[in-house]
Amino acid sequence: MAQKTVDTTKRAVPFDRANVPGPKMAKPVKAELAGKLISKAKRPLLIVGTPGADTGIPEIIKTFNSNNIPVAATGSCLKALKQADVEATYVNLHALVSYLKDPKWKGFDGNGNYDTAIFVGHTYYYASQLMSTLKNFTTIKVISIDRHYHPNAQLSFGNLNDDDFRTALKIVAAQLEQNPS
Amino acid sequence: MVLKKGRFIIEDLENVQINIGNITGAKVEEEEDKKEEAHGPTIAPGIHGLRDWDRRLLSRYEPVYSPICDLCCYCTYGKCDLTGNKEGACGINMEAHQAREAMVRTITGASAHAGHGRHLLHYLIERFGADHPIDVGPSNIKAPNTQTVLGIRPETIGDFIPVLNYVEEQITQLIATAHAGQEGSALDFDSKALHAGMLDHVGMEVSDIIQISCLGFPKSDENAAFADIGMGLIDSDKPVLLVIGHNVAAVTYIIDYVEENDLVDKIEVVGLCCTAIDMTRYNISAKIVGSMAKQLKYIRSGIPDVIVVDEQCIRGDVLKEASKLHIPVIATNDKIMYNLPDRSNDDINSIMDDLVSGSQQGVLLFDFDKIGELAPELTLKMAPIRKEKGYTALPDDEEFKRLTSSCTQCGACVINCPQGLDIDVAMTAAAGGDLTLFEILHDKCIGCGRCEEDCPKGIPVLDVIEKAAQKVIREEKGKVRIGRGQIGDPEIREEGRNLVLGTTPGIVAIVGCPNYPDGSRDIYEIAEEMLKRSYIVVTSGCSAMDIGMFKDDDGKTLYERFGGRFSKGNLLNVGSCVSNAHITATTIKVASIFAGRNIDGNYEEIADYVLCRIGAVGLAWGAFSQKALSIGTGCNRMGIPVILGPHGPKYRRAYIGNPYDPEKWNILDARDGSSHLMEPAPEHLLISAETKDEALPMLAKLCFRPGDNSLGRMIKLTHYIELSEKYLGELPDDWHVYVRSEADLPLAKKEMLLKILEQEHGWEINWKKKKIIKGPFRRPDVSFQPTNVPGLCKGVSV
Ligand code: SF4
Ligand code: SF4
Ligand code: SF4
Repeated sequence: MAQKTVDTTKRAVPFDRANVPGPKMAKPVKAELAGKLISKAKRPLLIVGTPGADTGIPEIIKTFNSNNIPVAATGSCLKALKQADVEATYVNLHALVSYLKDPKWKGFDGNGNYDTAIFVGHTYYYASQLMSTLKNFTTIKVISIDRHYHPNAQLSFGNLNDDDFRTALKIVAAQLEQNPS
Repeated sequence: MVLKKGRFIIEDLENVQINIGNITGAKVEEEEDKKEEAHGPTIAPGIHGLRDWDRRLLSRYEPVYSPICDLCCYCTYGKCDLTGNKEGACGINMEAHQAREAMVRTITGASAHAGHGRHLLHYLIERFGADHPIDVGPSNIKAPNTQTVLGIRPETIGDFIPVLNYVEEQITQLIATAHAGQEGSALDFDSKALHAGMLDHVGMEVSDIIQISCLGFPKSDENAAFADIGMGLIDSDKPVLLVIGHNVAAVTYIIDYVEENDLVDKIEVVGLCCTAIDMTRYNISAKIVGSMAKQLKYIRSGIPDVIVVDEQCIRGDVLKEASKLHIPVIATNDKIMYNLPDRSNDDINSIMDDLVSGSQQGVLLFDFDKIGELAPELTLKMAPIRKEKGYTALPDDEEFKRLTSSCTQCGACVINCPQGLDIDVAMTAAAGGDLTLFEILHDKCIGCGRCEEDCPKGIPVLDVIEKAAQKVIREEKGKVRIGRGQIGDPEIREEGRNLVLGTTPGIVAIVGCPNYPDGSRDIYEIAEEMLKRSYIVVTSGCSAMDIGMFKDDDGKTLYERFGGRFSKGNLLNVGSCVSNAHITATTIKVASIFAGRNIDGNYEEIADYVLCRIGAVGLAWGAFSQKALSIGTGCNRMGIPVILGPHGPKYRRAYIGNPYDPEKWNILDARDGSSHLMEPAPEHLLISAETKDEALPMLAKLCFRPGDNSLGRMIKLTHYIELSEKYLGELPDDWHVYVRSEADLPLAKKEMLLKILEQEHGWEINWKKKKIIKGPFRRPDVSFQPTNVPGLCKGVSV
């Protein structure tokens, strides 16, 4: 069956209307391109928040595992991720952004810090505010493949309804499968 | 001859006997000398007085900035785009600007409490006299923060005059540093913020101690009475007088008038926010509506017949909203004047006439006697008029149906809701007759009204939510043990040892405002979980109220289920916002009473002791205000870590430890100044969590201290492991770093954990003796004297 498509670049306005940080705001990105960029990243890290435990999402996150992309389980999503057989490491999101901006941090595997942070399944305002740390104080590329437009990322989906969001995630996953790292 | 003062010379004495009763001058000097010797090095420190301590803290717990805006618009050189840590036209970069922004907010919070304290002090001195004695209950250390910061031991309320003078002077110096074109170092802005936080605890302490001493509030009373709380407990058939704010001075006159004129059964005097807490401390007949999140909701219900406001955390639109429903507003404090006419010099009857007729929507009144009489009498007059007209903003059933059906599910309200609540989905369900989604949403809604600002259909969304949730609102009936004030010295004497040794796993202070991420039930559940685990749970302000809103299956609130003593497994409501000073004060008292540390003017040593020894942690789960930031920052300087809810990073900075970096975790042994690598304990100083389930294991973890003995560490580790397993689904991946020997291991899991240590971490185990041979980077040593301050070590010159 042909993959459903969705335009993830529409409605690229901050989900919280007042969350306009400044002149530099995320470029809206298509799901296919987001998937390709993630698969090409040298040291990517998928960062999942508590709403990432919602039905069906952990299944898609598994694709990141098969592509050897490490998964950081922030908030309290770890239980659900593990139940879906996702391999993930718990870390507090606020602490994680502090580590990500520290050149001394060697990552979860001890091989060095990450160059690309991919965000999915977060409490909107919480993730947005902590992406701002990465945006302003690191050179890490932040790609948001979450349901809502994140201005503090470098690339972000626009605001999506639930169906389109899940379709978009499947497109990203398909790209990872097509371009294994 | 009586000689009081001066100098005299006696010459040519013969056969004269001289009796000297008391050489007072010499004695005073001697006492002064002794005092001089006894106090610590920082009496009333200036901005840089504790800079070394701050730098010790900030080198371990590095500031992490999260800008909420990438621009600076602070002066007319700007706006400047600071994105990516660029510099603005004045040379300040993003980091320093964020630190400045956070500092300004901390100072704002500290000023709010200090301003409150000064207002109260003026008033109470005028009413009771400067010589009115301080009485906080059974304590020799009456004002621990004051004593530690200034070296002053106040005995009367007048003794607090120089204390507030100091706080105000420092606040002025601090805010001066925020002027454009001065400080350029983020770290120094943070040191200044920590200074402001410390001042805040002094200001709060003054405020609460003087009101406790003069107004008959409970004094370290573990059995303080229970007050009613909840919208469901208010008899709206009676005239209802609503007070909102934090400064109880004017309200006491209202309560006295109501009592003296036999109106207690005829009128409901109810409160929102900390004034509500403090008026129940003054008189138990008052009722609490709830926290700040209920302000707009309760006004819109139309139930209040008169509103009295004082200061802090009061919505800017109270007058506007009240006027729509013909509720007169009496403003009583110059912090909030709403452009109202000052009627302080007018006759009560003429003010009453103007308010009843509606020719004036509100008045400014600074005369407390007049407020005391006017507010209840006006309420009695307004009630029949208002009740007859049936004033309420809530729609009737027909209108409710029309409104919910007119919703086009455009989602504009959702996009403007700070909580991102699914209002559109709930509207659809309600239009179809299903109210459950709105009933759930009601508790998560912080009552801000932002949703209404953007609805293209003009739907008054909050009113719709409140109408839909009437059934649950009627059930909002709880109980709060009223603010007990300080922890008394005898309680500290009894419990201090358990705390320092860790056999009481920790103090969890649940404080702050109601900007919760997922409704108020979270803090009730957190409190219950920690109480069952024998933590001492201390609470105050809006959090103290919300904890009392929920009941178990037997209909009991946590306050009714758990005692109010400073002892393991007890729940203590210390009081209102300003009572938060008693939390830092408690740790100071432990250092003094249990450890015999000198606290006078000795801030660094005491804070170091707290950081190394006392497992206390704050949880400001719904923190929204500047005051919450200054309270938290003051805790941080005192060595108490704080966890914020997910709105917390909007404060722009946190203090986070990096556990993988061994350079950060060196600690000294005060016996000889030797340096040791230690476990990250506590791991962070200021951090946020996304959910309740994440916060719970973090609370347990942030109670670890390098000074824990093995029994204490074992107990703390048990809770950390169990909470991680329960809420996050697995063993925490860092539990092993807190193990210094087999005696630190939870008994029930010892064997299993030893296996993991051997297999996954390569530790050497003697299985016969079940002993750890090799692995931990530090062994427990009962004589170890942990400190972060070289000057406190023997034989170390600084
Ligand atoms: S204070 Fe500095 S950064 Fe801010 S607007 Fe002025 S010049 Fe620009
Ligand atoms: S009033 Fe409630 S629903 Fe409306 S925007 Fe505020 S939090 Fe959201
Ligand atoms: S903004 Fe108004 S019309 Fe749009 S979804 Fe919300 S309530 Fe409905």
